[in-house]
Amino acid sequence: MSSSIHISAQLGSLSLLVESSISVGITLISGENGAGKSTLLRCLAGLEMAGGQIHVTGQVWLDSSAGFSLPVEQRNVGCLWTDTALLPWLSVERNIKLGSEDSDHGDLMKLAELLEISPLMQRKPHMLSTGEAQRVALARAIFKRPALLLLDEPFSAQAPAIRQRLRVVLKAVVEELKIAVVMVSHDVEDAKLLADSHWHMREGRLLAEVKPISELLRAEE
Amino acid sequence: MVGKYGAQIQELGSTAGDALIMLESLLISLQLALVTTLILLVLAFPLAYLLAFKQFLGRTLLEVVVAMPLVLPPTVLGYFVLLMIAPDSTLGRAWQALFDSSLAFSFSGMVVASVLYSLPFAVQPMQQALRAIPVSWLEMAKTQSLNVRQALWQVILPAAKGGVLVAAVLSFAHTMGEFGVVLMVGGSIPGETKVASIALFEFVEMQQQSEALMLALILMAVCFAMLSLVYAINRNGMHMVTVK
Repeated sequence: MSSSIHISAQLGSLSLLVESSISVGITLISGENGAGKSTLLRCLAGLEMAGGQIHVTGQVWLDSSAGFSLPVEQRNVGCLWTDTALLPWLSVERNIKLGSEDSDHGDLMKLAELLEISPLMQRKPHMLSTGEAQRVALARAIFKRPALLLLDEPFSAQAPAIRQRLRVVLKAVVEELKIAVVMVSHDVEDAKLLADSHWHMREGRLLAEVKPISELLRAEE
Repeated sequence: MVGKYGAQIQELGSTAGDALIMLESLLISLQLALVTTLILLVLAFPLAYLLAFKQFLGRTLLEVVVAMPLVLPPTVLGYFVLLMIAPDSTLGRAWQALFDSSLAFSFSGMVVASVLYSLPFAVQPMQQALRAIPVSWLEMAKTQSLNVRQALWQVILPAAKGGVLVAAVLSFAHTMGEFGVVLMVGGSIPGETKVASIALFEFVEMQQQSEALMLALILMAVCFAMLSLVYAINRNGMHMVTVK
């Protein structure tokens, strides 16, 4: 089931106006700094006040004309921001299970293996490298099986070799769990290898919904 | 025989009596500090939470009221508490009807006064610790679908535990050192409302210097230990707090 968004928000000097639909798969947003990409993700999560409508897999998250906004904690959303927000007094395992305590332990172990964090599960966040912390936060966002996964530069702290493996993993996980992902990235490789659809933003507007590069390449063949 | 040793027996009796007064007053002080601290931990946290996170009409007024005991002369606070709990006041009458005893000049009355007097020492460290929690942690609690209770127990309280500990220690130590308020509200009834600081004052008044010195040293040691604990908590990386 696809989801639709129509968001308008005025946040500081940024005027955000976005109208589009999201399907299961990865929607990539690119654009210059300050274009409103991260703000759009925060509006989708409900962390910023916005006007408009957001419907995600049949559920109304926002309908400002009816004065309705679903509280953040009731939106089934998974988030990975640049600040990983791992709680320092919890182990990696407990950080990932936060809010998903009843989920299957086997699934957690499988996900940990895929994201190459299995040996880290009993460590505390201060014992992790930036890249490891980012992968743990990604696991936390995925493990709750969200209807919408919002990723802001999810591989920015990863070494090139592992970045490539993580792209493959993310693609496989999204296909298996059948979730919609909105992902902000500046990386051309992400656009090439991950994006099912690709938006370009400038000054708070969706300038163009561009075809994924993979489709363009296929068309050229 | 009695005449020969009478003076020594009288002196021994007097020394034992003074020791009893010292012990009793110290126990009452400790009991008062403990009860006050426990009540304040429950009462102050919601107040600190409101002041740290919520915007509402009258927020500044509430902040001022909570901080008032820091600048108000203890006797003034004690006087108003006495009026509030007097036998002919609403609270005093309700208490009398419920427990068949007077709230004024009782241990319970002193607890009411101590809670009010030490309120800023509990609220302010907690408020500062709550404000110091990174916004990203609070947002993460929401995006991980934690409800208010889960967020409180799993994120907010563990993150602010340094402030809560400091609040408890400061409330305890401050209550141990109370004088004016407890004198106004509790009087100085031996075995019931005579706390250590009042006993010390009375020893000095009666020129019993050695008893006064001993009690003063004990109170100083307790306060020193408490403050050392506060600094140890702060140094151990929990939230740095100061009471303004």
